[in-house]
Amino acid sequence: MPAPKENRSATIKDVARAAGVHFTTVSMALRDHPSIPECTRERIRAVAKEIGYSRNPVFSALAQFHVHGRQRAAAPKLAYIINRDRQARTDFFRSPDVYLDGAREQARLLGYSLEVLQLGQGHHDSRSVERHLHASGVNGVVIAGFEPGNDPMALNWDEYAVVKIDSMHTPPAAIVVGNDHRQDVRMAFRQLHAKGYRRIGLAISRADEESTQHRYSAGYFVEQRNQPLGDHVPPLIFPLATSRDDAILQLGSWVRQHEIDAVLSHSPSIDQLLRASGLRVPHDVACACLALTEHDDPDALAGVRPNYRTVGARAISQLATQLKVGERGVPEFSPQTYVPSKWQDGRSAPGRS
Amino acid sequence: MSDIAAVTGVHPTTVSLALRSHPSIPLGTRKRIVAAAEALGYERDPLLDAFNFHRLHKRATKDGATIAFVVDANTSPYFFGQAFHPLVYEGAKAAALAHHHAIEVFKVGPRDLSTRRLNTIIASRGISGVLLSAFTLHTTRLDIDWQNLSTVKIESHHLLPEMDVVTNDQCQAARLCMRRLRALGYRRIGLATARDDESRLQDNFSTGVLVEQAEMPESECVPPLLFERTTVDEITARVHDWIRECEVDVVISNWGELLGPGQPMAGLTLGNTRLRIPEDIAFASLDVPPHRADIGGIVQNHRLVGLHAMEHLSVLVRTFRRGAPDAPSVTYVPGFWRDGATAPRRSRAALVWSLSAHAHV
Repeated sequence: MPAPKENRSATIKDVARAAGVHFTTVSMALRDHPSIPECTRERIRAVAKEIGYSRNPVFSALAQFHVHGRQRAAAPKLAYIINRDRQARTDFFRSPDVYLDGAREQARLLGYSLEVLQLGQGHHDSRSVERHLHASGVNGVVIAGFEPGNDPMALNWDEYAVVKIDSMHTPPAAIVVGNDHRQDVRMAFRQLHAKGYRRIGLAISRADEESTQHRYSAGYFVEQRNQPLGDHVPPLIFPLATSRDDAILQLGSWVRQHEIDAVLSHSPSIDQLLRASGLRVPHDVACACLALTEHDDPDALAGVRPNYRTVGARAISQLATQLKVGERGVPEFSPQTYVPSKWQDGRSAPGRS
Repeated sequence: MSDIAAVTGVHPTTVSLALRSHPSIPLGTRKRIVAAAEALGYERDPLLDAFNFHRLHKRATKDGATIAFVVDANTSPYFFGQAFHPLVYEGAKAAALAHHHAIEVFKVGPRDLSTRRLNTIIASRGISGVLLSAFTLHTTRLDIDWQNLSTVKIESHHLLPEMDVVTNDQCQAARLCMRRLRALGYRRIGLATARDDESRLQDNFSTGVLVEQAEMPESECVPPLLFERTTVDEITARVHDWIRECEVDVVISNWGELLGPGQPMAGLTLGNTRLRIPEDIAFASLDVPPHRADIGGIVQNHRLVGLHAMEHLSVLVRTFRRGAPDAPSVTYVPGFWRDGATAPRRSRAALVWSLSAHAHV
């Protein structure tokens, strides 16, 4: 069997020569095209494996196109990787599911299918993820809202096109897509201020700060700068893995100590947590959530409704664009794209009379 | 490929893109990398080249949608005479070429095209995509027929209607600049910029400074100076007073105009004041002008801004996303730090000297 030339990995021509077929046959066989009989496909796959052929990423990108309007035999897959349990409590960190609908829909529109892979105890580790991606021929990966405090994922990043949703604390330094955390906080602050609240405090978790590189507190500080010094309140940042009980205690003492009249928090349970600390909402202290979804009661909790669908969709668009031009690995400069959110009024922040 | 990367001193991804003649890599760099590859005996797969050529050749006849690069005549004073940033345009043009769009510049202004005339041209030429260059605050709204167009804005957050925006990451620039300066030993870093610049750029420079200051000791925090856009002399006088009042040891600014030519043979000064740069006051730019290797600070990736804006526009055009989006996104392109003589490493001697210098001027 002719071995590949030195200093060059096996090409499709080598496989064709070794298998005694035309290179287009090899191409179609490796893409599981139905026009090639299954036994031939198997034989060619075996030959390819033996001489160490692996698909060239540019070639794969070419093969993704709808050539002359015909669709490929099977939709290529993209991986949507999460590092926390989808069913886990979401007191302090949004579920990675929020982006999934938008991501799936956009993937479908662009001719891809999306597979969710979970990293963590009882699920995949980096090595099994890598094996799975190789086996499925996946080279486009979304790192979807990784929660800080877990081990980083170690893949051979040079082989993949990667887009991150938030997850700025973890490698690789890929393109990032997210809701506009900074503008969200600024918008919420202004809304509360317009309703008459003056001592507005920010209560978020260290996980939120790390995954967004402090964009929440950045927005908060810019708005606070315009307020009289006497109304300045230090933010409350919950350490990683704070228990619910601890959070309740910390919230209660922080609100009382600084005479806070409105709390801005990431937690969708902020009203419940405040009540559990003995404060009446909105009577003693108003509150607004920075991460409302359609699952939250639209009247009860005021706050920001991020456009998670668009975030998910945009992540997939960016990934598809990279795959299309055959870009792999970490770019030298990775842009960040942020999608704006909308404000929602609610009973938790009715306004001061 | 990693051999080539090692020899040429670039990232492996850059090598890959250069060997595929990707337009995001400047031509000079591409040539250098190709030369290194040839010297090392790297061979391209001719089959892939054939496929690529075939694909690109076919697409050339199918696509070719013309993109209008609409620029604001009012920005001429900021871009050295042209009405747009030349590097932004270069990036946009490179991406347009790669995606088989023709790109044409249309200048809007009282002595140039009116929006009405532009609309007529757009309609008659069947232009389906518009790239909006940076507009000054004078223009708050452009009455172009947006419903039939895909649009991406470059900076110009204030310009209505709202569209997807691609911009330099001024917040990152300010944060990175402060960190590098602190590593060089500076302890009283002051931001000086125009109030209207901040309005136009969503207060992003100030935001970056505030975030960094939140983690710094109170004694090292200098209140930013936001000056009015008057004359350069008035502005530098204002900056001079602020430097003295707040004991600033390095000024960070996107205003290159603050750097006066100074006395011949004596280097740079702060405008027409007697403060010498860097002896009396150091200076780091938040947007190092091209061809100024003497100025330390953040080099903004203007070319990448143009490139990403055009790539996004290409996706919108091809997927028929017309009109104003529901949730117009903002894409921030980061810059990088480059050392320069205007912001050298501080020695203890320099610290003592500048304290005495402040006492005299």
